Amino acid sequence: MRLTPQETGAQVAAREFPTNRGGLCKKGWTAAELLARSDRLTAPLRRTGTAFVEIGWDEALDEIADRLRSLRSTHGPDAVGVFGGGGLTNEKAYQLGKFARVALGTSRIDYNGRFCMSSAAAAGNRAFGIDRGLPFPVSDLDEARTILLLGSNVAATMPPFIGHLSRAREHGGLVVVDPRRSETARLTEQGGGIHVQPAPGTDLVFLLGLAHVVIAEGLGDPGYVDRRTEGFDALRVSTNAWWPERVQQVTGVPVPLLRAVARRLAEPGGTYILTGRGVEQHVDGTDTATAAINLALLLGLPGTPGSGYGTLTGQGNGQGGREHGQKCDQLPGYRKITDTAAREHVARVWGVTAESLPGAGVPAVELLGMLGDEVRALLVHGSNVVVSAPDAAAVTRQLARLELLVVCDFFLSETALLADIVLPVTQWAEEEGTMTSLEGRVLRRRPAVPAPPGVRSELWIMRELAHRLDAPGTWSTDAAEVFDELARASEGGIADYSGLSHELLDTGIAAHWPFPRRSDGTPRLFADRFAHADGRARLVVVQPRRDDAAPVEPTELTLITGRLLEHYQSGAQTRRVPELLDARPELTAQLHPATAGRLRIAEGDPIELRNERGTVRARAEVTTGIRHDTVFLPFHYPDDARANLLTQAIIDPVSAMPEFKRTRVSVHAVLDAPAEMTAAAR
Amino acid sequence: MIRVVVVGYGPVAARFVEGMLPALRRGEVSLTVLGAEGEDAYNRVLVAEYAVGRADRSRLDITDTAAAVDAGADVRLGEAVVAIDRQLRTVRTSAGQRIAYDRLVLATGGRANVPTLAGMERARRERTARAQEPSALDRGARPLPTGIHALRDLADADSVLATVRAGGRIVVLGAGVLGLEFALAAREQGAAVVVVHHGDIPMPRNLDLGGGRMLARAAREAGIEIAPHSRAESVLLRTDEGETQQRFDALVCADGKQITGDLLLLSVGVSARTELAAACGLAVAAGILVDGVGRSWNDPAVFAIGDCAQVADAQAHPAGEHVPGAPTGLIGPGWRQADVLADLLSGRPVTATRERPTVVMLKAEGVDLVAGGDVSADPWDEPDHADGCADAPQVTQWADPARGTYVKMVTRAGALTGFVCVGLPRTGAELTLLFERGAELPADRSVLLRLDADDAGAAASGDPFAADATVCWCNGVTAGRIGEAVEEGADSVECVASKTRAGTGCGGCRGRIAELLARTATV
Repeated sequence: MRLTPQETGAQVAAREFPTNRGGLCKKGWTAAELLARSDRLTAPLRRTGTAFVEIGWDEALDEIADRLRSLRSTHGPDAVGVFGGGGLTNEKAYQLGKFARVALGTSRIDYNGRFCMSSAAAAGNRAFGIDRGLPFPVSDLDEARTILLLGSNVAATMPPFIGHLSRAREHGGLVVVDPRRSETARLTEQGGGIHVQPAPGTDLVFLLGLAHVVIAEGLGDPGYVDRRTEGFDALRVSTNAWWPERVQQVTGVPVPLLRAVARRLAEPGGTYILTGRGVEQHVDGTDTATAAINLALLLGLPGTPGSGYGTLTGQGNGQGGREHGQKCDQLPGYRKITDTAAREHVARVWGVTAESLPGAGVPAVELLGMLGDEVRALLVHGSNVVVSAPDAAAVTRQLARLELLVVCDFFLSETALLADIVLPVTQWAEEEGTMTSLEGRVLRRRPAVPAPPGVRSELWIMRELAHRLDAPGTWSTDAAEVFDELARASEGGIADYSGLSHELLDTGIAAHWPFPRRSDGTPRLFADRFAHADGRARLVVVQPRRDDAAPVEPTELTLITGRLLEHYQSGAQTRRVPELLDARPELTAQLHPATAGRLRIAEGDPIELRNERGTVRARAEVTTGIRHDTVFLPFHYPDDARANLLTQAIIDPVSAMPEFKRTRVSVHAVLDAPAEMTAAAR
Repeated sequence: MIRVVVVGYGPVAARFVEGMLPALRRGEVSLTVLGAEGEDAYNRVLVAEYAVGRADRSRLDITDTAAAVDAGADVRLGEAVVAIDRQLRTVRTSAGQRIAYDRLVLATGGRANVPTLAGMERARRERTARAQEPSALDRGARPLPTGIHALRDLADADSVLATVRAGGRIVVLGAGVLGLEFALAAREQGAAVVVVHHGDIPMPRNLDLGGGRMLARAAREAGIEIAPHSRAESVLLRTDEGETQQRFDALVCADGKQITGDLLLLSVGVSARTELAAACGLAVAAGILVDGVGRSWNDPAVFAIGDCAQVADAQAHPAGEHVPGAPTGLIGPGWRQADVLADLLSGRPVTATRERPTVVMLKAEGVDLVAGGDVSADPWDEPDHADGCADAPQVTQWADPARGTYVKMVTRAGALTGFVCVGLPRTGAELTLLFERGAELPADRSVLLRLDADDAGAAASGDPFAADATVCWCNGVTAGRIGEAVEEGADSVECVASKTRAGTGCGGCRGRIAELLARTATV
């Protein structure tokens, strides 16, 4: 995207680029409206009672530093937590991880990418020894004849991407797996491919069934499996237990369809398997992503020219944000914080001793669960947990129990509204930095417009706080300098950026990591070897968890959550763009006509979704595009329209990803619609 | 340390062993497994596919015995238990050893029934006879004549495979799900097959008349001969030149009909292997009687899982009274029982298995058939007011024999209690899910029938150029909005794009925008 500054804000123009090929969706075209809004935060705010008052920066920073220091001396460094975001630039994400460990001395840092990419990341690391969303340039997909897209609604979340699916669609080879007939699933219509609608939460069994058919019918690539993988025998035995008829009983996917998909994947001409949040945001998300990788390995796809496996990143910097230390167990360069050599290396770059670095902290859901108890202060950067975290009501209650909540944001988000102190920061078009895209390509972000007076960069805030806390080391506010430090810290790690600099990126090169010194980067991984020491990928045996035997009340529905074309994440930004809000002003819940009929609900009726955690109010959207036992809610809305009031804070044991897509709810018609609801309907 | 002894090493026992490995590795239990067959546990569900040559042996592997042995399990294959002493808590094996147990798990499985037919007298096994050696486990007083097999283990399968490969003619006695599956698979692999059964329809335990007729028709269309209403009475044997042994020649029915073939496959059901349990005084009916966690009704140290176990509530059946029911004979319930018992004996929290109604699915390419529950109700049955009217079964039915589709759904109080589905794979899959979950059916039952339609799930919007039809998905632009832009003077795709942003995302809708422009131009 290219921005031309205007008197207020900026004008958006598209720019030719491989990911979007010069296209933008509605969110992109309207993004500049965020730059000139009157409700932009321009001064630090302090809560007094129920209101905020503006205060000076020194006053705000002094107060924060004093209270952090006092909490730390009374309760120890782990009493302070940090919650980051996958939208932060690489520089800010890196500096935040360093700030937590060096300036605060706390192990308790994690970020909202835990709600987003952690399962795919864990699966990638386990199978390949490395986690890069797409281990190939996104434009490689253009040549594919078959693409299996599992749990991803790119047509709504990343519309320009669907251009990369064109050839597969022309050959009838787009296979979309989604319980909803989503915008993306509809791309399979008119000969575009196959839509498979398994019952929510049964993707893992579906994938085991595909692996079974691939092995049983000899559709795989035994030479590849022999040469490049470990663990085939155990995988074969484990998938033997998932013959197609058994898979049908669990998933609702008919046997002929299962076989047809397996056979299609094995056809020559280039096959890719891509996963998204729909299969990953589950308590068995890591295992489900692993099952997709196993399938890809059986077919000989990863590292073979013209084919592969990848996961589609969700947030602006979803890839870079998970590489440089925002994760509780991680140091820059995708290093493990528990690895002695990694600690030595990073401590040297930071100018501290390895012993002074804390150990592994706790992942996001667990961290949020500690608020008010072990964790007494929380710093939030680029995240709106009150809307986006599971069991949002509990999160809201716990935030209220904190002794200090500091939120850095550019608008008064729902989370900022609960803060003791809010710090106004720069947003995307006002700052220098880099982001790493879904294909592992490091991209420059440049300021197009000046930030409003009174607004500061988070790099500046971290330096000021670090100085006030007498932290060792250097705390640059210059993004290029911070990047250079990041590059050194990442050197020799998995996500090695050491050959990169802002200067080099400004030449316009396509820089895919790993990009060690004196290299040209790595557009395609796995051509010769995988990242495990022996160069082989791991086939990891996975099985569904057993708790699916729990009884379901006949009248209960399964709630799945997701995104709309018009909104992004918690909606804190997109709900502030009139054109986007007008298109999707309020929460709608998708229901099947048969279900709606049974519940005596008509299109447009106000309804309530309830379970033991909360009640959500929405308007009914009656559509045959959803399974009759399933209800869909987007998660972009605040207050009693928060889908996450219903979701449960249970997590994947490997990745700590919460379960967002398999929540039991009951749905009810609301007979007497309150006045504001009627008014909102216009 | 708790000494656990497992009798039998089929797929259910193997699953139990896998569940015990963590406790075994922690040294909390010891585990001895005695399997009469000389093979690692294998998947019997796929034995029929193996027997016709559609699955190779490696597909039957179902467990990693080496991992169990590494963890410290003592797995003895080819060694059968011949007696249990519950007072001393020991088992005696065919190798003459005594093994002490604290917890005994019987997973002895089931054996194929052998009917009493003239010409193969005494081949049928005495129900209470105990084998003294592994190979005699299922043998009657006399072996089955050459060319007559039950399809239960790999040895049977190997003999059958030879006949299938040779393109021989196979007589299948019995039209249960296993017989039909085998018949369809063998036919597909080139054998000539005739199915002989004494009833009116195949799979009478699972199907209603309509479903049965549909299946019979589908089977005939697949090239299988079916001989219904045929009560088998005897077998004729012949001695080929140069052979010393007699072999199967023909099956003779009560009406005098002789059905010749190269091989007779007996598929007349399975019975639990209960003789060990009965001999040591455990409560036994059709299977070994156990509660919801697999514990014997009358010995808390003994458990049974899988095809030998009959789950029933002891309180509901006064002592001495006949206990109706039988083991399900299906792998799914067996594996659930194995999981629960492994939890129990490893000290993990346990939820007793909820006996779920079973679903039967015919594994055959080209014939889609799935059924579950009680499907005997008829649409025009008078409701039995004694049951309470709300609980009376309601029946929804669809039959289109010419196109090979048939559905029957029986509901009580809205929930599905029985169903048959033929020729509609998606509907069948959906009904299976609903049935297993005990979920309520959509009020409009026809929704389920439409799942296999070409337009299933497609949005109802007919006209792609209707004003409210979305043209550009990336920017959410409707045909109506584009029409307005045209009225405002936009006359090219680029103009429309600059006014509405339609076509500025992935660009995939540019063709349709051009079409819209052309339409307005000609008006």
